[in-house]
Amino acid sequence: MSDSSAIRLAGVGKRYTKYEDAPALVNTTRQLLRGHRRSQLWALRGIDLDVAAGECLGVIGRNGSGKSTLLQLLCGVTAPSEGRVRVRGRVAPLISVGVGFHPELTGRENIYVNAAILGLRRQEIDNKVDEIVDFAGIADFIDTPVKFYSSGMFVRLGFSVAIQVEPEVLLVDEVLAVGDLAFQMKCFERMRAIREQGVTIAFVTHNLTIVRNLCDRVVVLDHGNKAFDGAPDAAVTRFHELLAEVREPEGSDIGWAVHKAGVATIEVEGLYADGARTQSLRADNSVVARLVVRALADLRDAYVGVAVHAADGTLVYSEPDLATTLPALTTNGTLTIDVRMQPTLPTGTYALSAGLYQRPTGPGKAIQLAVTPALSFHVVGRPMVQGTADLGANFQLVDGQSTSVR
Amino acid sequence: MSVVLDLDGPRTTVRRLAQQAWEARELIAILARREFFARYRRATLGVVWAIALPLLQAVVLAVIFTRVARLPLPGNAFVFVFSGMAAWAFFSAALSAASTAIVDNSQLSSKIYFPRVALPLVAVASNTFVAVVNIVIVLIAVYTSGVDPTVNVLLLLPGLALLIALTAATSALFAALHVYFRDMRYLVQAGLLLSFYLTPVFYPLSRAPGALDVIVRLNPMTGVIELYRAATVGADAHYGIAVAISVAWTLVIGATATRMYANFDRVFADLL
Repeated sequence: MSDSSAIRLAGVGKRYTKYEDAPALVNTTRQLLRGHRRSQLWALRGIDLDVAAGECLGVIGRNGSGKSTLLQLLCGVTAPSEGRVRVRGRVAPLISVGVGFHPELTGRENIYVNAAILGLRRQEIDNKVDEIVDFAGIADFIDTPVKFYSSGMFVRLGFSVAIQVEPEVLLVDEVLAVGDLAFQMKCFERMRAIREQGVTIAFVTHNLTIVRNLCDRVVVLDHGNKAFDGAPDAAVTRFHELLAEVREPEGSDIGWAVHKAGVATIEVEGLYADGARTQSLRADNSVVARLVVRALADLRDAYVGVAVHAADGTLVYSEPDLATTLPALTTNGTLTIDVRMQPTLPTGTYALSAGLYQRPTGPGKAIQLAVTPALSFHVVGRPMVQGTADLGANFQLVDGQSTSVR
Repeated sequence: MSVVLDLDGPRTTVRRLAQQAWEARELIAILARREFFARYRRATLGVVWAIALPLLQAVVLAVIFTRVARLPLPGNAFVFVFSGMAAWAFFSAALSAASTAIVDNSQLSSKIYFPRVALPLVAVASNTFVAVVNIVIVLIAVYTSGVDPTVNVLLLLPGLALLIALTAATSALFAALHVYFRDMRYLVQAGLLLSFYLTPVFYPLSRAPGALDVIVRLNPMTGVIELYRAATVGADAHYGIAVAISVAWTLVIGATATRMYANFDRVFADLL
């Protein structure tokens, strides 16, 4: 283990046994009679990871990609089935805000319990208790049983304890998504400060904005494997690609469309502004997305649609071009479609994807033939505009009266 | 900054395990305090109940064994029965709470690591107050009931130590087994129910019922109760053997539990 690494994983895998929902006795008997072993599932496999001391690592991935298992391994709750996990320094998992809080005990009593669980000595807790109460901002309620707390107060107290443990390695799991906005900002600022103190942070989250703003490096997990490891922006792009790659099984129902593979493909060939290919757009300048459709079999009654997602995965905009039916194609025929759009968006990174659909022959749902992997692009929005959309407000003074102060 | 976590499989060395358990002693104390005080928190009389209940039990036993059922017991009948009951009540209460401790605290133990053996130990520790109250009642009974107190009273100390050690070892073992076999909870209840009668609480060891004599003599709790008796009304002539058997049980159960935790401590969370 080199001196600089705080976390090192070598060939780490974690296997779980699937349990069927039957009493253990039934399962065991069945197993003995049939002589077969329980089916097993690798939640993580072949993970190599080296995090330097002071680095802030983000971990993103879809649900079930192994993120939580990774965190559990890092805080030692569970052991790897293969490979080796090594962590240096005191670990504080922020996974578990308020774990061990007893509803009947007061806030102050719970501070002692929670801090002891996180590994503080009684003496250390005595020294920190005022700071914890202060940060949580619940001094008036500190001697009230926590069951009378609002959920916000509960979380604030839990977060305050965890953050005062002064860990060398901090593991965070989605906890910043709680509490009111003011407290979230406070937590976020505290996380930054902690990072600046040289604490190693591993961050598991769905919030891609936080990943971009806080992390030095991001790992993307997919089906228990490491799909990407590198710069946050590139990781987010890779994550969007993975999201777009989710292919529903043929004939499955995805709500408004039925999926059917093998008829055609579609890709976003590129984005063009002022005739030049670019991925950096300005809100006041229109952009053209060039889509290329290729038929793998005979293609009729098809139309396209586009969608734009924000970095945190929110759908910003989507629209199918129902008015235009594409010309029929035979196998290997191609079509190029230009989609002109006005990227009136606030500054940020977005992902563009396109889909190819076929009109149903009778009444029924449209058939999804293909979707593109997401193409990420950056928008420089109008100054001071924030939010998910730029509605182009036009402020106009209609009537006014000046009053003078005597 | 030292390596605090180095895992390449579920197994832990016994040495490392012992070290971690020792480091967790403050945590165990704080959690046991939490458990104890939370239990009486909303009651108007609060912690008074922790004294009142054992006292009530003693009074009931005193009435039954000195006024209602006059059993031919050696020495003062109440002191005889209560010195057995004092040990048994703690064993029974602590074991039934502690043998499910790891599963009952899954909300805690699936989120954060600390040596899992802490959980049954916390449950045992939070019950020790009752064991101490019971010892005090035994002492009061000895000094007020006309039994001639001797220096043997001091045997209550090793008695209490052996009782706590045996209870802790058994609890740790059952708590670990309970993660794998959830039937443990009910087996422990059934076992306690049966073994109450197979423990010489309200009969002397010398008068253990015929065929069951061997079982009573091999019962791990027998030695503890004999120590309590030796301190008060006087024990069976060969109580030394019973104590040795109890000590042996404690060591065997403790060693088995240690092995279990060394193998499974880090993977209990997978089954919670």
